[in-house]
Amino acid sequence: MTSDESVIEQWLHSCVRCSNCKYVFREYSPSCPSGEHFGFETYYASGRIWLAQALYKGELEWEVSLLDPIFACTTCGNCESQCLAPHSEHIVDMIEELRARAVQEIGGLPSHIRFRENVVQYHNPYGAEHHNRNLVETYGLPLQAETVYFVGCTSNYRETQIRDATISVLKKAGVDFTVVDEYCCCSPLIRTGQLDPVNEAAQHNADAIRAAGAKRIITSCSGCYRTLSRDYPKLGVDLGVEVVHITQLLKELIDKGAIVPKQTEHRKIITWHDPCHLGRAMGIYDAPRDVISKLPVDLVEMETTRENAWCCGGGGGAKAAYNDWSVETARTRIEQALRTGAELIVSACPFCTRNLRDGSSEDGPPVIDLTELVDRFI
Amino acid sequence: MSLKEKFERIVGADHVSDGAAERYVYSRDMTENPPRTPQLIVMPSTTEEVQQIVRLANEERVPLVPFATGQSVGGLTIPQVNDAVIVDLKRMNKILDVDEEGMYMVVEPGVTFGHVRKYLDENHPGLRYTYAISSPFTSVIANALLQGLCDLSTRYGAMAEFINGLEAVLPTGEIVRVGSAILGDDNWFGRYPLPDLVGLFTGWQGMTGIVTKMALQLWPKKPFTRHFALFTFGDFMTTDLLKQIVRADLADDAGALSFSVVKGLIGMPAPIEAIEGEPDYGTFLTLSGVTSLVLDEKVRLLERMVNSSKVKEPKNLLIPFEAVARLMSEEAYGWVDFPSDSFKQLTEYDGLTWMGTYIHTKNWGEALFKGRKIVEKYGYELMAFLKPMKGMHFCEFKFIIRFERDDENLKRVRQCNNELLDLALDLKAIPYKTPVWSAKKLHERADPNFIELVRRIRDLLDPHGIMNPGRWGL
Repeated sequence: MTSDESVIEQWLHSCVRCSNCKYVFREYSPSCPSGEHFGFETYYASGRIWLAQALYKGELEWEVSLLDPIFACTTCGNCESQCLAPHSEHIVDMIEELRARAVQEIGGLPSHIRFRENVVQYHNPYGAEHHNRNLVETYGLPLQAETVYFVGCTSNYRETQIRDATISVLKKAGVDFTVVDEYCCCSPLIRTGQLDPVNEAAQHNADAIRAAGAKRIITSCSGCYRTLSRDYPKLGVDLGVEVVHITQLLKELIDKGAIVPKQTEHRKIITWHDPCHLGRAMGIYDAPRDVISKLPVDLVEMETTRENAWCCGGGGGAKAAYNDWSVETARTRIEQALRTGAELIVSACPFCTRNLRDGSSEDGPPVIDLTELVDRFI
Repeated sequence: MSLKEKFERIVGADHVSDGAAERYVYSRDMTENPPRTPQLIVMPSTTEEVQQIVRLANEERVPLVPFATGQSVGGLTIPQVNDAVIVDLKRMNKILDVDEEGMYMVVEPGVTFGHVRKYLDENHPGLRYTYAISSPFTSVIANALLQGLCDLSTRYGAMAEFINGLEAVLPTGEIVRVGSAILGDDNWFGRYPLPDLVGLFTGWQGMTGIVTKMALQLWPKKPFTRHFALFTFGDFMTTDLLKQIVRADLADDAGALSFSVVKGLIGMPAPIEAIEGEPDYGTFLTLSGVTSLVLDEKVRLLERMVNSSKVKEPKNLLIPFEAVARLMSEEAYGWVDFPSDSFKQLTEYDGLTWMGTYIHTKNWGEALFKGRKIVEKYGYELMAFLKPMKGMHFCEFKFIIRFERDDENLKRVRQCNNELLDLALDLKAIPYKTPVWSAKKLHERADPNFIELVRRIRDLLDPHGIMNPGRWGL
């Protein structure tokens, strides 16, 4: 990041470790996937804040045993929703800064370093052959358009059904869009403190979007949405266009009649998983629910929703470095979903889709993206 | 085999840490008490694992420090000797039983006020426990063992009074029960008529064993309840009026706060200064009755008492809580419904402390009057908290200080608390949740035979001195 301001320094005298971050306020169900699993005080937000402060003040020396408490966190931000102290909105920022300092001082985790190297070499964290611009030809898209669909690496190289459904919906709705030669938005690097390659990639994306003559960007990935909207401005990278998440666009398209969901006799029961990047990080809770309300399905909410929603376990570099715990976290969410009686689990983030599926049993309800669901009914 | 490996064989490798992060975080708490780094942290999940930990500690002569759910105060979970092992009990978090007829629950040490509240509301809506003004996620066992106070203390006393019995692992490794459950499970109805050995564990700050289960009394929810806010002036006039109200058995709970605390609750930013002419105290009163008639009569009596007090202080004001909520916010109901909710205003900085005591009723007003002068001298916000205890048999007062933990503040806070303690001891008050420095000052003034008896009992139970050595200044 370019900012020299230290959020740890700003909140150097905050947090009495009251434990409010550990549980959903007045609900008393667990809020922190990391603390709930690992148990030591260091794996809750309050412990990490004390670590960050201690390292900043020089009360604690850097050493490799610090890496797990620092990195075994999905940065889901549920702690921020529960914390009642003045620093509550800055906890994830503190953890991300702590991670960046860890990378500088003692290096990151091997699995994180791997996807950093992949981003540098292949422009995506998976090490897949970079082919984004080929989509223009594959889907017969224009070279320039008012809207750029920022596909995101996970949709483009892993959860391709989300990319395909998004393109299908945009075409059916008659949206004038294209894709650009996008590089990884760098969310995985920012979340894991590996900031060196970020500015260059972000600037490349800004240039590509500008070259496409776009007036707005659509993302189907909640992580990309958060990064382009919130992190790029902090980096000093101005995209100069509006960034919209697909759930917001779907609502807009339905509201103005550009897409009209067909009604069916059999209405499936579905449940909605709020992605952390979309919900807690960006405050978007209603748009997906508004879209679902227009579809021939019945939404049954899980016991933790919106700002209190239990994380899928896939974010913050957790899946790459701590897969077992990450999948266990997803399993907890799946159990919540099963208690609703849902036949489908719907979300709007390829990370969530992937990890929730990993946490599901074979005979459990399928996990799909909201774009896939909408595409079925238009 | 290393000591760490031996503990790992008991609780599993995932539940033992000697990492720098854990050793740092468990070396300190939110208060001004000096840190000391433990060598290991272990997290058992059963009584049997606790027993094995204690036996191993005896073999290896390793000091153990019990730790509950993480909101530690008074330095009570900070080791007083080097190379201690912290026994973090938060994995033992089951509510084992709720006996509707006997009105008690049996819980493990990791169970918090919040979890009890939720569990009872969902499964036993006619019953309630008593709740503290601490974080909602404070261990109910820890608070009972430390004889803390709660929102039924005005009627029933310190939280240790609510203990029907307990199970503990002694410092020598035996598992014992005290109370009526010595005749077996489903029989945790009380402590009498037996030698009352609950007292071997309450107030001992973890020196006599690790409590692994506790039976705690529950209470029927009263069908008719009303809350009031009473705003008063002057330390002596306030305490005199509260004494009158509580002696008349009108209030289930009477928690009085410096007006600064009230202003903080409604959102005034720190630091909060007292303004000339504003009330000195706001007291939240809870009145109840088995019929509306009983409740109405209590309300009438309360109003009459407050009106009588206006002869001396015309500005005293009693207002129904509905008006408070309308003026402040709906959130206000949370403060009386579940006092832990009001803890948030104490989370302003990274430091929080208080010098709290139980005191003879006759000395209550003087303690407040002189204590506030000390707090004002040091320039801290005036955040007194006082409660009439056990039907006015004794009283509680404390001065809370929220502060930034820099070197200068730590020194100043220590000096301020020292002066407050000297004042309290001059008035023969007993400090509770006592830090070591405070216990040592108490020893200087206490009957030496009492201190010697405590020491002898501790030595008898813990011949190898492994349980929290140095605690309570011993």
